[in-house]
Formats: sequence, C-alpha cells, structure tokens
Amino acid sequence: MTLSHDVLVVGAGLAGQRAALQAFRAGVDVGVISKLHPLRSHSGAAQGGINAALDPKDSVHDHIYDTVKGSDYLADQDAVEVLCKEAGPTVIEMEHMGTIFNRAPDGSLDRRAFGGASYNRTIYSADRTGLALLQGLYEEVGRDPKIHIYEEWDAVDLVVRDGRVQGVVAMERKSGKIEGFGAKAVVIATGPAGRVYGKTTNSHESTGDGCALAYRAGAYLKDMEFVQFHPTCLPHTSILITEGARGEGGILRNAKGERFMERYAPHFKDLASRDVVSRAIVTEVKEGRGFPDGTVHLELMHLGKEKVETKLQEIVAYARTFAGIDPVVEGIPVYPAQHYMMGGISTNPKGETNIPGLYAAGEAACVSVHGANRLGANSLLETLVYGKIAGQNAAEYAKTAAASTLGQTDVDATTGRIHQLVERKEGELPAKLRAELQSTMDELVGVYRHPDDLINAVTRVAQLKERYQNVHVADKSSIFNLNLVEAIELGHLLDLAEVIVTGALARTESRGAHVRTDYPKRDDAKWLKHTLAQITKEGPSLTYLPVTITEYQPKERAY
Amino acid sequence: MTQVTYQILRNDGKGGVPHFQNFVVEIGETEAILTGLIKIRNEQDPTLAVRYSCRQEICGSCAMRVNGKSRLVCSRLVGTETKTHNNTIRIEPMANQPVLRDLVVDQTPFWDRYRHIRPHLILDPANPLPQGKESRMTPEQVDQFRETPRCIACASCYSACPAVGSDPDFLGPMALAKLYRFTVDPRDAAYHERLEGIQNQKLWLCLRCNLCVEACPKDVRPAERIVDLKRLANQEIGKRERGSKHSIGFLNNIEQGGLLNETKLARDSLGLFGMLGQVGKGFQMMRHGKSLKKHPPIQGLSEVQAIYADLNKPEDIKGRERPVGKGVKGE
Ligand SMILES: Cc1cc2nc3c(=O)[nH]c(=O)nc-3n(C[C@H](O)[C@H](O)[C@H](O)COP(=O)(O)OP(=O)(O)OC[C@H]3O[C@@H](n4cnc5c(N)ncnc54)[C@H](O)[C@@H]3O)c2cc1C
Ligand code: SF4
Ligand code: SF4
Ligand code: FES
Repeated sequence: MTLSHDVLVVGAGLAGQRAALQAFRAGVDVGVISKLHPLRSHSGAAQGGINAALDPKDSVHDHIYDTVKGSDYLADQDAVEVLCKEAGPTVIEMEHMGTIFNRAPDGSLDRRAFGGASYNRTIYSADRTGLALLQGLYEEVGRDPKIHIYEEWDAVDLVVRDGRVQGVVAMERKSGKIEGFGAKAVVIATGPAGRVYGKTTNSHESTGDGCALAYRAGAYLKDMEFVQFHPTCLPHTSILITEGARGEGGILRNAKGERFMERYAPHFKDLASRDVVSRAIVTEVKEGRGFPDGTVHLELMHLGKEKVETKLQEIVAYARTFAGIDPVVEGIPVYPAQHYMMGGISTNPKGETNIPGLYAAGEAACVSVHGANRLGANSLLETLVYGKIAGQNAAEYAKTAAASTLGQTDVDATTGRIHQLVERKEGELPAKLRAELQSTMDELVGVYRHPDDLINAVTRVAQLKERYQNVHVADKSSIFNLNLVEAIELGHLLDLAEVIVTGALARTESRGAHVRTDYPKRDDAKWLKHTLAQITKEGPSLTYLPVTITEYQPKERAY
Repeated sequence: MTQVTYQILRNDGKGGVPHFQNFVVEIGETEAILTGLIKIRNEQDPTLAVRYSCRQEICGSCAMRVNGKSRLVCSRLVGTETKTHNNTIRIEPMANQPVLRDLVVDQTPFWDRYRHIRPHLILDPANPLPQGKESRMTPEQVDQFRETPRCIACASCYSACPAVGSDPDFLGPMALAKLYRFTVDPRDAAYHERLEGIQNQKLWLCLRCNLCVEACPKDVRPAERIVDLKRLANQEIGKRERGSKHSIGFLNNIEQGGLLNETKLARDSLGLFGMLGQVGKGFQMMRHGKSLKKHPPIQGLSEVQAIYADLNKPEDIKGRERPVGKGVKGE
C-alpha cells in the first residue's frame, strides 16, 4: 500500500517539526515520519542553550564573526549570516509558541555565557533548553491535526527516479508493516549519527539514517570528517555535562589543581571553542596531569549550591546518578567524547540538495554554518532556522512538481530486501559488528588523528562492511523487531564511517575538530574547501567545493 | 561486578501466555538497569523488545515496572534494587497501557489524555503577545510552573496511578500536571475554560495516593499540581461544581476509616437524592467486587491519619492563589 503527501518530512526533532510546520503554513499537505515519538527525539537532550544576539549591546555581526572564527573559516559565510540574522526572530517565535525560558529579573529572556562567544548571548531554559524547545514546538505542531505524524516508523529507503525524489519506503515498528510514502518533496531531518562512535553523547537511536539513505540515493555528503568531541562528558557513560556549566562560571582543573585552560587559551580560558578545550584535556591527561581515572575535573563548587542546583539542575542529577559525584561539593570527572557531526547531507542555504525535491535540515544536513567546528548553542538555532527554510522551499517545490510515481514496485523492492535479511539463517549479530565499528572509531578516529590509525580504520571499516553482508537477524517477529531495526541502522553507520575515515585520511591539514598529527597546521592554500563525498561501487568518491567567504578573510585563530 | 538475575516478563504480543524469563547478567551495582537490558539484548537474546534511546533520563522512552514500581531503567541503578531484592530485578511492562510486546506498551491512552487538555498556548486575539519581542515574565511567574517543565512524558506516573485504570474520564497525573503548566502560564488566555473543562471526573478522581510523585523521575510531583488545580478550580468556579464535595467526602472517609466507604462517599458527594440516580452504578460496583457495606476501621489507621496530618501541613499544600499577574506585558 502507498500513502502520499505533498511534502514528507523524515524526522520529528526540532529540525523536522519546524520544517513540517513551515511547509504546512505554506499551504501544502504534510506528513512526518519518525522512528521515535517526536518528544523522544534527541533534540530534547540539548542542555545549554540557543544563541541569539538579542541584547541591544550585542550585535548580529559579532555573532557571525564568532561563528566563522569558531568554524576555523570553513563555514559558508552567507549561510552563517542567515543563521545569525534569523536568530532573534526565531527565539522570539519559540517564546511565543510557549517555550519556557529562564528570565532575567526584568522579565526579559535571560542569557548565559557560552564557548567561543564574545558576548553572553545564549538564551536558555535551565539546563534543558532542548526539551523546552521541543515541547514548545511539538505543542504548536500538535495544534493542527492536519500535520500527520507517523510515529515509530523507520524510513528504510529513499526513492529517487527520473531525476527527482519520489518518496520514502518505511517500516512501522508496531506491526512490521512496510509502506510507501509518495511525496513531491522530501525533507530529511533525521538528526545525528553519533553512534558511529561508542563514546558519544548521542542517544542510541542517533544512527544517521537519513544521511545514509540520501547518500545511497546519490546525494552528496559534505565535510563528514569534521567530528566534534565535546570536552566535558562523564567517564564510562559519556553523558554530556553542558558547556553552560562553564558558562555559569565552572572551571576545569587538572590533578595538580591547575586551571590549565589559562595556558591554552589565555583570553577565553575555559570558554574557548570546543576543539581547543578538548585537545587541551587530551594533552593534559596524556602528559600525566590528569586524575588516575584519566579525567580532569570540572569544578562548580565555588558557584554555590543554590545556583548549581537551579540553573544546572539536570546535570547535577546526572553527576549524582551516573558518576556518584555531588557537584555541589566536589569536582566532576570529565573527558571528551563524540558529540556532534559538523558534516551531513550537503545543502545550499535554501536547504536544497543536489537531488531535485530532496531537502535536508538540522544535524543531518550540512549547509554549512559550523564549518570545521561548531560553536555551542548554534545547533539548536540551526535546526529551527534551516528547518523553517527547508520546509518553506520544499513546499514551494511541491506546489509545482508532478505527482510522485512511487508505487507498489518500490515497496516490493524494499520488502524483498528486508525479507532476505530476516530470513538469513546464520551470520554475525548486528550488536557484535556495531561494537567493533564503535571501538574502531573511538580508538582510531578521535581528537588527534595519526595517519597510520586512519589507514588502519579504512581497512577495518571495509572489512566490517564485508562482514555486514552476512549480518544475522535473530528475531523473526513482526512486532517491535528491534534486532531488524538495528541491523538496518548498522548498515547506515558503516556507510557513514567509511565516508568519515576516507575524508579524514584525504584531508592533510589540521582545521577545527580535524587534527592530523602529521599535518598539525591549517593549510588554507590547499584545504580551504569543503569535502564532498558521493557513493560509487568502489566506495566514496571525493570532490571539493569552494568555501563562500564574504566578509571575514581567514586568519589565525586565537582564544 | 556482580551477577544479577533479571527476571523479565516476556510477551510475544501475539496471544501467547506471558511468562517470566530469567537472565543472569554480570553488571556493576552503579550501572543503570538499562545497561543490563542492553547486555541481554546484545549477548543473550536479541529478541527482547524494549524501548530506550537517550540513556540519560531525558527522552522518556524507558519506563517500566521494576520490582513492582514504575521506574525509568536508564537512571535507576542496579544496586538500588539488588540490595533490597535479593540480587534479583524483576521487570514488567508499564501498567495501564496494553502490551505490544515484552516491555513495549501501546501508549495511545496516555497520549490521548495528554491531547485532551489542549496542550498548547491558547492566546487572546484581543490581547496579542508583543510583536517582534518576547513577552515579559517575572521570575515569580516562572516559578509558578514549579517543576512541570521538567516532564519528559515518560508515563511512569500514569503507570503507577490507581485512578486512571478505574475511570477512563480521569485525565491522570501527567496530563493534569501539563494542564497545570498551561493554567498558570501568564501568556495563556484560557484560564477559566481550562479549569471548567476538567470538572468532576477529569480532575477530582485523583485519590491523592501520591504514587505518581513517587514514580516520577523528574520531581514533577503531579499529585501536588493536582491539588493546586483543585484549589484554583474551587476558587474560579466555586460551589457550583461537584468535584470538591466528592473529594472532601473521599478524604474524610479514608481519614476516618482507613478504607473507602463507597456508600458514605456517595452520600457525601451526591446527597441522598443524587444517590438514587446512581443505583445502577452501585450494582456495577458490587459486580467488580466493591462492597457497599461498611468496613471496620483498618489496622494501622493511625498511620493513615498520620499521613493525612502530614499531607495537610500548611506549607506542603499552601494554595497558590490565582496566578500572579495574569497577562503579559511587552516591555
Ligand atoms: C547531549 C546533547 C546536548 C546538546 N546541547 C546543545 C545545546 O545546548 N545547544 C545547541 O545548540 N545544540 C546542542 N546539541 C546539539 C543539538 O541538540 C542537535 O544537533 C539537534 O538537536 C539535532 O536536531 P535534529 O532535529 O537535527 O535531530 P533530532 O532531534 O535527533 O531528531 C531526529 C529525528 O529523526 C528521526 N529519525 C531518525 N532516523 C529516522 C528514520 N530512519 N526514520 C524516521 N525517522 C527517523 C528521529 O525519530 C527524530 O525524531 C546537543 C546535543 C547533544 C547530544
Ligand atoms: S495521587 Fe492522584 S494522580 Fe497521582 S497516582 Fe494517586 S490517584 Fe493518580
Ligand atoms: S510527570 Fe513525571 S512520571 Fe509523569 S510523565 Fe512527566 S516525567 Fe514522567
Ligand atoms: S532511555 Fe531515555 S529516558 Fe531512559
């Protein structure tokens, strides 16, 4: 059976819901499919805040400059301009939808300091800003039942034919039913792919599905080698301790009690950009100044119980529960972990990909506003600003596009492939292959990248892809068959890992979050360009795209 | 690392008889119970169906009953259960929602109630929010939300609530806490309609058993917000509504005897004539094993009364008057 919508949005996090709302407001019929209930999307885990130069003493230009500098000059400056100009109206719109933000004593939106920012411009809701925004947006979307949300459906195929997108084939978790969703335009908003790594702040469901589906269908992936490692994550679980903790005055110290960031970033100190702080922590620990468990400490004690327990309520709970540490009286052990993919489906500032009718937004996309390193609190902003733009343009496209030709043959093709997977009698379980992939990426493609490790990683990912051909789904049920889902997701993770390691090996420079031990310097002459990866039978083929520079010429970064 | 027995209620979702299955898991006491479930899925039985995603108490996916209580398994540590339960963790799906398979339930009834309260701002067209600016809200107004913005819609409270199962009209703890959140929102213009809309069963069936408070991982304290709603409703709608009579009857009833005396309750809340209209319901109740005869006071009545005394301590339920400064200014 097939269903159809003018615009189909895949993903119901902040980016997906904002796109859906906008397409709907533009007057077309909208469907949303999401593998999780919308409120369970990983956007809800965002803690620290959302940037907007709302204060009259702040300026949009400073926000643009900070973002471009943070990106190590790889961001497209026209795209950054849109992001920062739309920031104020976006936050206000979210406030009007009902989002509950923290307030200053005069009743205006309160702001906190964040990494790499020259001004306190991070609007927040305690340390659950993502949850506050997700609730506000979901409530707004839910106001109109005409936006049809298909909950707990996994998109498993993206259909591109006759030079344009035709729709998606998806599987319902509850029933195992596979259906076609014909669409004139599709917006991919499937969020992060952090589970390529084992040590990640991302949820278990952050498996980059949409990126992989688009890539397989012929879309370009951009800058996938740029992987952000967040400096302050709890050991073992890699649960994030927000940068907002340092924004509120938290300090990093090594085992000798030194405030070591003073040495690495004399001016910005603990609030330097994330790539800088992560490298500092790795260096401190490697050179023997870490604590015996291989961490440094994030201290909040001096801020006082009241402030810590109200403004950082969730992370206090996390530290107490998951690390057995009370941040009111002791330092929180932290170490970097994978946090964010700067790369994603390549789009222009209109949200368009290289495939007509296919749009992307949010963490699954790469516009690019983050370049080689994202500034904290710019990502929530990106989901909303570019979600809206992608939704609007998808709707405009759909208004004049011909009907989709997606039909039963497409559904049958997917069904055949999935049956083959489920009917396989033996092989390796997805969990085993996934664990090997994750340890490969954790060990070989981290904060510092050695060429030998990268070569090794390329080989290991290739071998895992080979073994994946015989992956075994032990569960044969049609109801909530998560074993099948994880097998499909693993295929996505493997494709993306391949692109990440290939891009990282090719880029012989250090820029932002990509640091090569054999090429420690940024090389603008050769590498001031975006990586584009396209699928071929032999694996990803890389080409490059110039960076859009309008106002700020690249110069050396210092914090 | 210790060996812990996970005793899991399996259910194939296709009509097979639900049964417990034991898995022995090597796991540390300070690890989350969810970690053990993932280990079971990865190493012993990939067919175990369970919802989880964030593993950090924020997505609300992983509520289930752990040794009989509704918990989020990603933030409930192994040690907290094994110490008191002989190294065994019994895990069952949430209550009050039909099981789809193993530990996965169909949350439709939960979400239906949530949607019923119109969970979005209702603005006054005559008094729009300031254009191009945020609406101002004092820190006191923000305080009035209490902990409701922390709700992650996990349904732990819903699973723990004895009242939702007994009457489909009762909105249950999460939806009512959410309703409270909108009722006190200074931007919202439907204050009266919201309170009017939940009269009688939708609000007043709450037994004040506090089980939802105990189950909630985010300290939302739904029962306390329900008390607040009742106060606001009393104030806004006044004597016209029947719920308060019912609730006072209910309270007195339990306080006096420790058990519900349904006949006396009906008399208190409906009056004698009102009761005549409810004869059918009385028979229904008897069919469900509820007796209309008077119970002797239960053992431990003094404890019940102590709980009441505690709950009624003024600082605990001090009424929030009508939300301060309804309406927002632009500047
Ligand atoms: C712990 C943490 C804290 C963060 N804190 C901040 C912060 O303070 N400020 C900030 O700016 N950024 C922060 N970020 C980053 C930011 O939260 C994310 O980049 C952003 O929320 C991603 O939103 P999204 O809408 O793109 O994706 P998501 O919110 O992850 O949504 C993805 C959606 O896609 C759906 N989906 C995925 N695959 C499929 C499929 N195959 N079929 C159907 N549906 C699918 C999912 O169900 C989900 O609804 C944080 C990130 C993390 C992990
Ligand atoms: S206090 Fe009320 S809402 Fe909470 S569990 Fe008891 S009956 Fe349900
Ligand atoms: S009130 Fe608490 S228990 Fe209930 S859904 Fe919200 S977070 Fe979960
Ligand atoms: S896994 Fe998200 S709340 Fe437990």
